[in-house]
Amino acid sequence: MLRIITRYLRLYKAFLFQSLKEDMTYRSNFLTLVVMDIGLVSISVILFKVIYGHVNTIAGWTFHQSIILIGTVGIVREMAYLTFRRGFLELGNHIRTGTFDIFMVRPIASNLHLAMRHLSLSESLGEGITGIVLIVYGLIHLNNWSWISFPLYILLLFNSLMVYYGFSLIINSIVFWVVRSQELNTIIYFFMETSRYPADIYRGIGKVIFTFIIPIGIIATVPASALTGRLGWDFAILSLIIGISFLGIGLFVWKMSIEHYSSASG
Amino acid sequence: MKKYITLFHINWQNSLQYRFSLFVYIGGYSLYIGVLLYLWSAIYSEGQSVGNYTLSQLTTYYILQLMINSIIFSYVSWDVIDNIKTGNFSNFLTKPLDYYMYWFTINISGKMLESIFIIITAGIISFFVSDYISFPEHLSTKLYFLAAVILGIILAFELDFCIGMITFWLTQVRTFKYMLQTMILFFAGAMLPLDLFPPVLTKAAEFLPFRYLVYFPISIYLGKIENPLPSFGILIVWILIFFILSRVLMSRGIKRYEAVGA
Repeated sequence: MLRIITRYLRLYKAFLFQSLKEDMTYRSNFLTLVVMDIGLVSISVILFKVIYGHVNTIAGWTFHQSIILIGTVGIVREMAYLTFRRGFLELGNHIRTGTFDIFMVRPIASNLHLAMRHLSLSESLGEGITGIVLIVYGLIHLNNWSWISFPLYILLLFNSLMVYYGFSLIINSIVFWVVRSQELNTIIYFFMETSRYPADIYRGIGKVIFTFIIPIGIIATVPASALTGRLGWDFAILSLIIGISFLGIGLFVWKMSIEHYSSASG
Repeated sequence: MKKYITLFHINWQNSLQYRFSLFVYIGGYSLYIGVLLYLWSAIYSEGQSVGNYTLSQLTTYYILQLMINSIIFSYVSWDVIDNIKTGNFSNFLTKPLDYYMYWFTINISGKMLESIFIIITAGIISFFVSDYISFPEHLSTKLYFLAAVILGIILAFELDFCIGMITFWLTQVRTFKYMLQTMILFFAGAMLPLDLFPPVLTKAAEFLPFRYLVYFPISIYLGKIENPLPSFGILIVWILIFFILSRVLMSRGIKRYEAVGA
């Protein structure tokens, strides 16, 4: 098991360096992406600011706590681009042109190979950086947080990444049955966009759906809750169970769907 | 005219192929609107309120915005950009088709199926929040709303077409378009009703044409505008301005065109 992990880590490092080289080739593009990202995050912040101009709290969340939420989404997004996100954006192209065959014949798991083949630092870098800035800004204005919550926060960030990966696997598996993936990724886009709102707004059936079925409520709210000292141990553990389950279900659905793949190049 | 009717028909049949994609897109956007409805109801259930909106006005606002996003907004510029970048545009230079009218027809016929889907979706969502949906009382309000939507479709197309024309000058147009699109959505009132903004932004939005795409029709529907006729006048002026701009950009662009990749 340990040997497999070190092997994948070594591969990841090689792929990452390769991607960084590609990124650096288009330096002006790099800058545009970062600037654009910062612009988009600013718009979310403005929208929250406008809402908080009319209300004091949203489902118990103050403005500065919500800022930490927005920042957390940015960090999870950047983590996703550094691990798998762009690979899945390219999946549709690979399948349409038949180049997906390559991923099937290599001696590593097809989903991990796809993920690592298209790592990107720049795609969401602006959001990642603003994310960190927003979190620092939010924490300065809060007084009930402590350094002890940081390890938990980081653990829960990885948990969110697991949920995100599992969800991506499930949604993108549809591509093997219906060939077009660009639109499938709009679902994932809205999935991340809506995770900016505190999950405490959901009531009744909505709470069940957005926790267990479309886990929007886990992605940002859970880590941000840990950081702002509003997360109970029971819900932290439940989130980890949901994270592992989503990853498991995602891998299972992917494995099942891949058997449905018929090459376009042959 | 006949050739455009044929084009309309062909594209309508083409769009039927993509009904699955459409389903997915509408699913994603409904999810977004659904979350916002939860957000507002959470705020109102705590006894807070947002501006001079009631919860049912806000709910109605976002369900109408869900529909407008599909019915009014034009997204053909993605294809226009592709068309120019790949050099396929060259084919048009030899055809007796007007490029502007071509994409206008594509836009309208592409919207037919989407509009039908979105009206059904909005109907389903409305069913769940039926206590919070308001309907206009007067027939005149309904007619004004309808007129605003139709004019909105034209203005939205013109704006989108102008963005597509930028491809003639800029190669990295996609990122730029994405930024512009977000600005348009912001100042159209697609994310938040414009009168909730701080005064500076509300004022800025008043001088921009984008408000006529979302905020204006919905405000008519909600009965927030006493006499919409002067605004209709301004809207028509904007439509004329952007019609002329589209034409100018197109003819200048064609002169610049170098047929990349052809």
